[in-house]
This record gives sequence, C-alpha cells and structure tokens, in this order.
Amino acid sequence: MFKALSHWLDGRTGYKALIHEALEEPIPGGAKWKYVFGSALSSTFLIQLVTGILLMFTYSPSSTTAWGSVYYINNQMTLGWFVRGVHHFGSQAMIVLLALHLIQVLIAGGYRAPREVNWWFGMGLLFITLGFSLTGYLLPWDQKGYWATKVATNIAGGTPILGPAIQKLALGGSEYGNQTLTRFYGLHVGLLPGLLVMTLAGHIALFRKHGVTAPKNAKGMGHFWPEQVLMDIVASLAVLGVLVFLVVSEHGANLDAPADPSSSDYPARPEWYFLSLFQMLKLFPGELEVVGTIIIPGAIVTMLMLMPLFDKVLPGKLAHFLACMLVFATVGAAGYLTYAAMDEDANNQGFQQAREKADTERQRAIFLAGSPEAGIPPEGSAYVLLRDPLSHGKSVLTKKCLGCHFFEGKGQPIQGDDGKEATSPQVASDLTGFGSYSWIRGLLEKPSDPKYFGKVAGAGGMAGWKAKSKLTSEELDKVAAFVATFAQIPDDVTSDEWTVDPVVFAHPGAELFVNECGKCHVVNGLTEGGEDSPNLFGWGSTRWTKRMIQRPGSVDLYGYMDPHQQMPGFAGQLTENDLTTLVKFLQGDYPKE
Amino acid sequence: MTRRKLFEVLAIGLGNVMGLVLAIPGIAYFLDPLRKMSQSGGFESLARLGQLQVGVPQSFAVIAARQDAWVKYPKEPVGSVWLIRQPDGSQPAVIAYTAECPHLGCAVNLGKDGKSFLCPCHNSAFKFDGKPVNQVPPRGMDTLEVELTKDDDPQVLVKFDRFRTMSKEKTPLV
Repeated sequence: MFKALSHWLDGRTGYKALIHEALEEPIPGGAKWKYVFGSALSSTFLIQLVTGILLMFTYSPSSTTAWGSVYYINNQMTLGWFVRGVHHFGSQAMIVLLALHLIQVLIAGGYRAPREVNWWFGMGLLFITLGFSLTGYLLPWDQKGYWATKVATNIAGGTPILGPAIQKLALGGSEYGNQTLTRFYGLHVGLLPGLLVMTLAGHIALFRKHGVTAPKNAKGMGHFWPEQVLMDIVASLAVLGVLVFLVVSEHGANLDAPADPSSSDYPARPEWYFLSLFQMLKLFPGELEVVGTIIIPGAIVTMLMLMPLFDKVLPGKLAHFLACMLVFATVGAAGYLTYAAMDEDANNQGFQQAREKADTERQRAIFLAGSPEAGIPPEGSAYVLLRDPLSHGKSVLTKKCLGCHFFEGKGQPIQGDDGKEATSPQVASDLTGFGSYSWIRGLLEKPSDPKYFGKVAGAGGMAGWKAKSKLTSEELDKVAAFVATFAQIPDDVTSDEWTVDPVVFAHPGAELFVNECGKCHVVNGLTEGGEDSPNLFGWGSTRWTKRMIQRPGSVDLYGYMDPHQQMPGFAGQLTENDLTTLVKFLQGDYPKE
Repeated sequence: MTRRKLFEVLAIGLGNVMGLVLAIPGIAYFLDPLRKMSQSGGFESLARLGQLQVGVPQSFAVIAARQDAWVKYPKEPVGSVWLIRQPDGSQPAVIAYTAECPHLGCAVNLGKDGKSFLCPCHNSAFKFDGKPVNQVPPRGMDTLEVELTKDDDPQVLVKFDRFRTMSKEKTPLV
C-alpha cells in the first residue's frame, strides 16, 4: 500500500531522485566529526524557527503589550518558559557555533579558491545572525532590552554622515516606542529570516558544488548518508541537550522589569557575546570613540571579507598563516575584553547594587502582574510598577520626603564624611506607620522622641501637653485607638455626616479625646479646639494626608507655625499618581507577597 | 545488521528524538488555550425594576471586570442584555436575554416593527418570548439567570454568560 503510494508520488514528482541526490553526496576522505558545525548551525536555526513561530502566537509587539505578552508566555502558559528559554539560549548557541564553524573553515582553508564566494555567503550569514540578536534583544521591552538597544542604536547613530538617518530609520522616529518595536519585530520575524533562508540556500548550494575541503592526504571516499548524517544528528542533539539543560537549570530566560525610560540607575549591559565590543568602548574615550565603535570593528570585518584574496598577493602558506593569526588575535582580544568586562562588573559595588535593585524591581513586577489585586492594566506594562505604592510610592517618599523625614529609622542615603554610606540628618518625624494606632500611641507616650516631634523646630505643643497630662496608660490606649479610626473615614464622608454617626461617640476613647485633645485640636463638629494645632478630622486618611503633603501651611493644618519652620508644600511638584502611591505606601495599602 | 544499516537506524532514531524534544513542549504550548477556563462572572446589577415597562424590551450593557490574557481590565461594558418585565405577579418577574444571537453570535436588535427581535447578520428573528420565528437560528434566544433584591424598588441582577452558537442545545462556554 505504502509502496504503491510512494511509487505514484515519485512518478508525479521525482522526489526519490531528489532525496538520493541530497543524501548520496560523496565525501572525499570520509565522514568526520569536524564537519558537523555547519549542520549543527542549521539545526539550531531550525530550533530557533520552530520556537520563534510558537512565540509569535502569543507575543504582541507594542510598548504597552510586549512585556505583558512575554510575561504571559513565561509565567502563565503551558511550558511557555521552556519554549522561550530554548529560543533565548538557542540564540547564544548560534553565536558559539558560528564562531566554531568559522574557525574550522579557516583552519581547513575552506575560504580559499575556489570557495571565496561561499566564504562571503558565510560572512553574510554571520551578520544576519548578529542582526537577529540585536533585534530580538529588544522585543520583551524590559529594562535589559530597552537600555541595551538604546546604547546599540546610539552607536549606529554615531556613524559619520549617515548615522542619524540610520538611527531614525531603525527606531521609526527619534523616540523609542511602538514604532521601534514594530520595526524591530518586522526585521526579526520577516526580513531577517527571509534573508537568512535565501543566503543559507546559496551557502549550501555552493558547498555542494565544491564539496568539503578534504585534507590533502585524504584516502578513500565516504558518503553523507548515513555516516555524516549520524554525526551531524549527534552533534545537533548535543546542542539541543545543552539548551535543554540550560533552560531547565535556569528555569527559562530572564524577564527584567518593564522598560522605564525614566530610571536613572539601570546598569545596562549587552548580551555576553557583545561584551567585548562594550568593553572596547571604554578604551577609546571622547573624540576617539569612533575608533572603538566603527573603525576597529570595521577594519576586522574588512579583513575577514578580503581574506580569500590574500592568496593573490602573498605566498599560499603565509596567507593562510596570516588569516589564522588575524582570527585568533581577534578571538583572543575579544575573549580578554569579555573577561575584563565581567571582572570589572564583579568588582564594581555600584554595579552590583544597581543590579540588585533591578532584580528587586523585576521580581516585584512579575509578582504584581500575576497578583489578582494588581495585574497588568490596559494602559500598559509600564504602569505595573508606576502604580505600585511599594515601588513608586516608596521612591517618591525617598526622593521628596526623606531629605527631612525618616522612614524605618533612615533618611536619604548619602555619602558620609568617611566615604561610607550614611543617612541624611533627621529634622522631621519618622513616617513609619504614620496614621496607625502604633504611631499615635507612641506619640502620646513620648512626643519629644526623635521618632515624633523631637527633631522638629517649633513643634513643641504635644510635649507641652505631655508634661501636664494626667492620663493613665490605659486611657492613652483608648485615645490612640480613637484617633486611629480617623484614618478610616472614607474620603466622601463629610464631618457633619461623621459626627452624627452614633458609633463615633460610642467609642471608649471618644470622651477622653474631646476633653483632653479637644482643648487644642479642632475636629470639625466634635471639638472646638483652642491653642495652635492642626485640625485632626480625617487624620491619616488619604484626604488628610494628601492635603498635608500639598498644603501643610493651610490655616487648618500648620499655618500657625512660623513659615520658616513649616513643612514645605508639595502642591504642583507631584503628579496625581505620585501623591496616590505615596499615601498608599504610608498606609501600607499595597499587594504583599 | 550491517554497519550501514545500524547508522541509518541510529540517524533516524536520534533525529526523531530531537524532533520529539521540541514537538512535545511545542504542542503543549500551542494547545494552552484549551486548558484555560472561561471566566464566569457573578450577578451584576443592571437596572431597577421600576425603570422597566411591562412587555417592552430594553437593552442594558453588562459592566464587569475581566482578564484578557495578560491584561486586567477594570469594570467596563463587556456585553449587552435585553430585559423584558413581565406582568405583575408572574414568575419570573423579569426575563433577561443575552443579545448574542444563538446562530453566529452577532448582536440581536429590535425588528423594524418593534414587536420582535431581529439579528442584523443573517436575519434570525425571535418573538419576545424568545421563540424563533424563522429557520435561521438553531434555537431560541438564550435566557440569563435573573435575581431581584429585596428592596421596595428591587434591583435587577443578571448573571452574564456566553453560550455555544450553532447548536440546538443551550450549552455554556467553558
């Protein structure tokens, strides 16, 4: 049955002759392990093609959706982490195999006449593969891809004359955004694969025309099928085995926090195989930069391209020797620079700290993306961290508030006199737990403690009260518990509505509060107040705290203080999101792991 | 077995191993949507009973939060529903039809005469009791579960679900 069918098909297509032609290629000197690199590269490209197409089924190229879709592949889909991991490590295997293939061909003299054109096809494939790396790195739109690509495209932009136009075309404008992603995506999944397949077809066709570069003393004749094919398959399987091992042991590929163009301390590094170029830039500062970015790489590429022509001007052995030396020197220098770059980072505390911070952000972003309380909003993945009180609110607190206030016993990190890390001096209260029972209870216990008003000039009112007050510890507990309820008053409840709620007066601390605190503090509808002090209606609530941050000098807050001693108002200096996340951070209102 | 035959068997065998190492995770990944369950919402308030006129269909948007793959959408319109209040004393007091046509899922609207439902895509037509008037739809309009709150002017709560199209039976999508 099968025979009849294959006979019929062969009659119509002639496929048997085609397969025979493809497999029965003679190999002078027989099959050899050193011939496997080209086939292993082709197999790895197939792996990239298969995993790449699978990723395309989910990946969504836009600055709002790219990170989210990659997160979804990595963390939500069945074996998505495996598919993406194989693609990620496969791209690195391509580079390693390319280098090995190139060196093998070089040593065998496979670039020399009559195979010059095929060497150039190989060079073309090398550049296409590097193009895949550069374009693919950006696609997750995470911090790593964003900053590395920014550096790479700025290098391209620094090329004399055409640079700015090339850069603008690559980015799809002068800013990094949706157009950058769609253009890189088009290159990565459309143009480059097409070019690669066509060039590879030419490469293989020419290879078949000239055959392997057999050793001079080669004896006998082997065949592609099955000896060489078996070796090729064993090599490809070994590559796949290494990939699977890497993917499983690393649990897939890393996904950094969503791209944030405003981050000031992201330690951008390219993928390891570009580290040597990255490091070389440091050797050519200022005006000389172009030597490191364009001239040296350009010279190496030119030499590689011209290599087959060395034989025309030099004696054969010398030409081969020089070609090998050129490549070995390049590989050696690249290896040294890569080591230098890694060594420098390993000993750079600033880099380590910045990387640690980036990792904290990465973990937080991934946690939030999967949290039912947060998730990725439709506005885009950049908002995952931007709307997070623990990430953004805390950062606003550190930048805007901790110059004076403390949080968890510390101010802003600064460099101390001895060069070590220190904290900015405290001139205002510690905001840890502000608005909570424990904060207010601690204040009532010792207002002059540095945690409260001890460091605040002109805020001795509470300390004055404490010196005279006769309230017992239990009574203070009750008062503190009552004041802590103020933070729970919803923003849309007016003081009139609140004071008529019988629950308010029924609180065991209410009467004590009115008699003791009400002599100074106003609470709309509850106490009349008296001496200089802020209105406590809604103290610690979102409404009160936002107003305190924006207009602390209002008459109902600290307007009674000397303007020099008042807290500076932040109205107009914070966005609505800054303010909301800051207040929620102080209130401890954010998704927790 | 000759050496050549052994090589052939090994080459084909190992080639298949390689294919399977990629194909099995690849297929599992590709079939991932089959594992994901559709989200069934709870009861959402659409209107107050007093807003509805007896026997007159009125269209309401269903407002619900939803998760679309990686994006979490806040509450916003996700579908529309026809509510028809029944004469006082009858059970149920309100009938809710999803506006999704049981034929191929287009949004069913009122006919020109205002006395029947008509789907603008393939002219499926239904009476107000949900029964089909022509041969186009496979079944009548799909009713949704309705609950009334205990207020004086009760709120009409509807549980929004989706059903398989092109089938005689009303089967919820999972």
